[in-house]
Amino acid sequence: MVFTSLNFLLFFPAVILLFYITPIKYRWATLLIASYFFYLNIEPVFGLLTAIITLSTYFFTRLIDKVNDDKTKSKYMYLNIAIVLLPLFFFKYFTAINDGIFNILDLYEIRWVLPKITFLLPVGISFYTFMAIGYTIDVYNEEVEAEKNIGIVALFISFFPLILSGPIERAKNMIPQFKSDLKLNPANFSIGLKLMLWGYFMKLVVADRLAIYVDAVYGNLAHHNGDTILFTSLLYPIQVYADLGGYSLIAIGVSKILGLDVMHNFNRPFFATSMAEFWRRWHMSLITWLTDYVYTPLAFSFRRYGVSGIVLALMVTFVLSGVWHGATLNFVVWGVLQGVFLSIEALMNKRKTKMENRYSLKSNFLYVAFSIGLTYFLFSISQVFGRAVTFEDSIIVFEKVILERGSLFLDKTTLAYASIGIFMLLLSDFRDEYFPKKMLLFNNKHFVIRLGSYLCVALLILWIGILNGGQFIYFKF
Amino acid sequence: MDKPELIDRLTTIFRATFDADSLVLTDELTANDVDNWDSLTHMILISEIEKGLDIKFKLKELNKMKNVGALIEIITSKIN
Repeated sequence: MVFTSLNFLLFFPAVILLFYITPIKYRWATLLIASYFFYLNIEPVFGLLTAIITLSTYFFTRLIDKVNDDKTKSKYMYLNIAIVLLPLFFFKYFTAINDGIFNILDLYEIRWVLPKITFLLPVGISFYTFMAIGYTIDVYNEEVEAEKNIGIVALFISFFPLILSGPIERAKNMIPQFKSDLKLNPANFSIGLKLMLWGYFMKLVVADRLAIYVDAVYGNLAHHNGDTILFTSLLYPIQVYADLGGYSLIAIGVSKILGLDVMHNFNRPFFATSMAEFWRRWHMSLITWLTDYVYTPLAFSFRRYGVSGIVLALMVTFVLSGVWHGATLNFVVWGVLQGVFLSIEALMNKRKTKMENRYSLKSNFLYVAFSIGLTYFLFSISQVFGRAVTFEDSIIVFEKVILERGSLFLDKTTLAYASIGIFMLLLSDFRDEYFPKKMLLFNNKHFVIRLGSYLCVALLILWIGILNGGQFIYFKF
Repeated sequence: MDKPELIDRLTTIFRATFDADSLVLTDELTANDVDNWDSLTHMILISEIEKGLDIKFKLKELNKMKNVGALIEIITSKIN
């Protein structure tokens, strides 16, 4: 059951109704039951995974809290991390390891072909695994106390708006909210519905429309020229932003309606003027998670090597992030590229700041526009490795972009509809970036303008949205 | 080392790390208030403080450094 399915539009009002009639004290339990119902509906056996991760995390965090000796605490922490990571490793890398071994056997012609076993990656597994790991480390670091009510821990790990693709929340933010008096109120309803409406717009009007064009080109690279592939590669980051950003807004909106504040995942990433800034605005819940639980411990242990230690920590973090996206050479290159971009920036940072201050460049429109364009371009280059299916395909993309000229492949209807969505999305982000609280539509003080803008967006979704669309991109991670 | 002396020494380290000659340290100062104070330069800062004051931080203590005041508190517990 995904947010864009009809089932969800029946499920969510039913949850609100049940939530409303449950006594305040037990509303967390209603959310827990709803969350398991939601997840079991995707594949019943997946519920077993969340249950095992919950039990292990509950057990070990309580132990960490109880013992006094730091060595024993750290042993329990690592033990739980290993246990909760096991299913993720198994499902994510089983096929890659399997195929690797088969390839070797094939090479020496000693493979004995038998029916092959394939496993479906449990959707959302990365996201709740990361949340469980974060919670375990936070308890070890005494950032949060180990929760005594196992039901609350189970809800934290399985909370239905977040379970499939995040945002990857933290125990420090969510657990106190789950334990508080959860109430429905009109203000939260209004904020939540607006977030959901804009999220659906991003997903159905922008992402799914762009997907038609991007899939047509990337699905058949041999038949498209370099100019078309370049154009498509420059569009792809917008598709990913609208897809995961749209999903996140719906998740945040659904949570808000239930009275829960969830962290934002994107902060107008395409207005970043450097790659470092870009990564502070893009998929923020993943990046802050990686910063806190991977980069910081690594950089801390490499700190005596100065800048080289930081560069090494950055590289390792992003390569790990790449390998998390997929066990392919493409994603390793994707991670290496991010690490290289950020390392070069880190090494040039002092000189760049001096130059910017000397010539007051930060207030120079051309300089800012150039920096935004360059950042977008660099990210688009790295995303070729995120979108192309194989490493060989990525090489074909670059070869064609450099060598092959030709007229643009124009799927006029798709591009025309997509342009309307992209224009509105970027305009809205532009307004929020440079003119916050001005030219408001969803939050205008006049009711007529508010109502008109809701209707316009809703009609656009119905008119040009892809209503029978597919999955969200991040479900596969 | 008393607090004013510690703040003096820290100010020198902060100014050199962030290339900000006029930076003034207050207890409430956080990474959001200083240009270029991000997760990359933060680790350089930590390493420079360790070298400058001849102390060693623990990873756990890093998470508790929410502002300069908290940083000073942790350092004070180590040098006194």
